[in-house]
Amino acid sequence: MSKYFSKEKWSYLKYTISHPMDGYYWIRHRDRGSVPIAILLVILFSISFTSNRLLAGFVVNDLDPRGIDSLFELLGVLSFYLILCVSNWSVTCLMGGEGRMKDIAIAIGYGTTPITVMLVIGTIVSQFVADNEQAFYTLIVAVGIAYGLIMMLIGIMQVHNYTLGKTLLTLIITFVAMLIIIFLLLLLSNLLGMVYNFFHSIYTELIFRA
Amino acid sequence: MKKINVLKKIFIACLTVCMMVTAFGEEVNASSIPYDTYNYDYREYIHFTPAAYVPDRCISGEQLLYNGESIGAFVTPQDMCKAPNGDVYIADTGNNRIVVLDNGLKYVKNIITGYYKNGVLDTFNQPYGVAVSQNNQIYIADSQNRRIVVLNMDGSLEKIVSDPKSESLEEGYVFVPLKVTVDYADRIYVIAQNMFEGIMVFESDGKFASFFGTIDVKISLWEKFWKRLATKEERSRQQLYIPTEFTGIDIDPDGFVYATNIDSNGTQGVRRLNPRGEDVIKKGQNGNVGGDLWINGSTEYAGPSQFTDVVYRKNGIYSCLDKKRGRIFTYDHEGNLLYIFGGLGTQKGTFSMPVAIEDIGEQIAVLDATNAEIISFNVTEYGSLINQAVSLRYDGDETLAVALWERVLQLDENNELANTGIGKAYLTAGDYVNAMKYLKLGMNRDYYSIAYRRYRNEILTKNANYFLTGILILVVVYLVLKPILKKKRAEAKKLKEAKKGGESNE
Repeated sequence: MSKYFSKEKWSYLKYTISHPMDGYYWIRHRDRGSVPIAILLVILFSISFTSNRLLAGFVVNDLDPRGIDSLFELLGVLSFYLILCVSNWSVTCLMGGEGRMKDIAIAIGYGTTPITVMLVIGTIVSQFVADNEQAFYTLIVAVGIAYGLIMMLIGIMQVHNYTLGKTLLTLIITFVAMLIIIFLLLLLSNLLGMVYNFFHSIYTELIFRA
Repeated sequence: MKKINVLKKIFIACLTVCMMVTAFGEEVNASSIPYDTYNYDYREYIHFTPAAYVPDRCISGEQLLYNGESIGAFVTPQDMCKAPNGDVYIADTGNNRIVVLDNGLKYVKNIITGYYKNGVLDTFNQPYGVAVSQNNQIYIADSQNRRIVVLNMDGSLEKIVSDPKSESLEEGYVFVPLKVTVDYADRIYVIAQNMFEGIMVFESDGKFASFFGTIDVKISLWEKFWKRLATKEERSRQQLYIPTEFTGIDIDPDGFVYATNIDSNGTQGVRRLNPRGEDVIKKGQNGNVGGDLWINGSTEYAGPSQFTDVVYRKNGIYSCLDKKRGRIFTYDHEGNLLYIFGGLGTQKGTFSMPVAIEDIGEQIAVLDATNAEIISFNVTEYGSLINQAVSLRYDGDETLAVALWERVLQLDENNELANTGIGKAYLTAGDYVNAMKYLKLGMNRDYYSIAYRRYRNEILTKNANYFLTGILILVVVYLVLKPILKKKRAEAKKLKEAKKGGESNE
C-alpha cells in the first residue's frame, strides 16, 4: 500500500499538475505515477461534483436536491472512468499508442484534480455571492474544468507519444468506441435478462406442475 | 427519461394525496368538494392546497321564474357576461334568447327574444355571445343571422353591425360572430368563425377597422425539413399550418383585451393584448400561462389544457377556464398561478362542457353548455386571503399584505407567493436575516440576492475594524516569519546536501 501512496507519488502529483508535459512523460517512462491515487482522485472528484450540486449557494444553484443521488453519481462517474479508459486503451492499441492501461488511467485520474479543487472552492465561494456576482463562481468552475480537460488531453498525448492532431482524432474515435461499448453492454444485459427469464419461467412451470 | 420523470411525479403526487388523506382525514371532509385544489411550485411539483372556491349552487333554467312562470331549460347556452350594474346576461343560444339575471343569480330580470327594427319585430338566430358595454349597451353576437345586434337597456335597437368590408377579407366571406366584447370607447372586438387572422375590431360606428392580436404560426426546423423533402403531392395532403383561433375574450377597464386560444404546446393559452394588438402578458416564474404543467401521457385525459374562456376579475387577477379537464386557473398580473380548482364529472360542482366563466362579486360562475346550467362557486377564507393579498401587492401596498400572507401560511405552509410576500416585507423593514429565510422558501432569487447583498454589507461595515486588524496582523506575521523560515529551509537543504555528499563519498 505504502508503495502506491508514498510521499514521492503525492509530491509527483503536485509536479504533474504544475508541469503536465514533463510530468506525464516521466509517468510513462519512469513509473512515477500511481493508479490507486488516480482512482482515489476520481472518487474525490465525484464527491466534490455531487457536493457542489447539493451544497452550492441558493443564488447559483437551481437544481432540485430531490433529483440528486450521491451514490448513484459516484457509480456513474466510476463507470464512465472505466469505460473511457478501456475504450481509449483499445483504440490507441490499434493506432500505435505507447501508453499502457495504467498510464491512461493515471492520465485521466490526475487530470480530474483541478476540477475537484475548483469545484470545492466554487462551492465555498458560491455561499457568498449575490446574483450579479455569479460570474465569479462561473469563472472559478470554468477555469477548473478547462485546466482539467487540458491536463487530460496533454496526459493522453504524452503517454501515447502522439501529436496533438492524432490525440484529438483518437479521442473522437474513443467516444465512438465508448458508445459501442455501452451499446454492447446494454445488449448483453438485455440478452442475459432474457436467458434468466427463460430459466425462471421453466422453474415456475415446474413448481406449479409439481 | 421524461416518462420516468412523469411517472415519478405522479407517484409522488399519489403519495402526497394518500398522506394528506391519512394525516388529516378527520379534518378535511373530502366528499364535500368534488375536486382538488392545487398549485404548481417552483420545481413544477403539484402541491395540494386548501380549497380556494367551493361549489355553491347549480342554476338551471327550470328553477328560474319570470312573471311567476318557469323560463324553461336553457338549450346549449354559450356565453355569459356581467353588466356594469351587476346583472348577468346569458346567451341561451339554442332558445334564441338572452336571459338577464340579477347579481345573485336568483331572479330573472328580463328575457330578450327580439327587438323592433323600423317597426318590424326581428329575432335572433343562435345568439352565441353577449357583452354589455360600460355605456350600458348590450352587444349580441347573432351568429346565424351573421350580425352583431346592439341594443339599449330598454330593449330598443341602437345599431346593427354586419357584413364587414375590407381588402383584407376574402371575397364572399361569411361573417359568423361567436364571441364579442366592447371597450370603453365602444370599439367592438369580435371572434368570428374560421377567422384565423385574429380578433376583428369594429369602430364604434360599426365599420370594420382591422384584425387584432394575430397568433403567429410557429414552424419548427424539423417540420421545415420535412416540408422540404416532401413532393408537391404529399404537401397538398399535409395539414395546413394555420394559426389557432381565439376561443374566449374579455376586456379590462384599461382597454387591454384578454383572449384565450387553444395552444397545442400548453405554454400560452391566454394573451393580454394592448390597444395595438401586441401581446403583453407576463408569464410568471414558470414561463407558462397555459394551464396544467403535467400534460404528458397517452390517454384521452392527458394533453395540454384547452382554455375556452377568460375573465378579468380585478387588480390584475384573471381566471381561465379549461374545457379539457374542467379546471379554472387563476393568475395574477405577473403570471403567477394563484390556485387551480374545478373538474369534469357528474357531481354537483363539476362540469361536463364548460364554455364560459364570469366573476360575480365574491362568486365565480361557470356556464355549462351540455348540462345547460350555471354553477356558482363561493370563495373560501384561503381564496379570499390570496385575492386580497395579491390585490394589495398590485396596488403597491405590500407591507399591508403581510398579515394576510401569514394567515395563508397557516393554512398552506408551502405557499411560495406567501413566503415571497412576507420576505419582501421584511426586506423593506430592514430585517435581512428573516427576509432571506422567507425569500429562499419562496424561491425568489432576485429579491433574495438584494436581501443577501444588504445583509453582507451590514456585516462587513459592522466588523470592518476586526477584518482590517486581522489582515494587518497576518501581514505582520508573514513579514516576521518569512526570513526565519527562509533561513531554516536553507539550513535543511545544506544538511541534506551534506548527507548526500557523505553517502556518495562512501
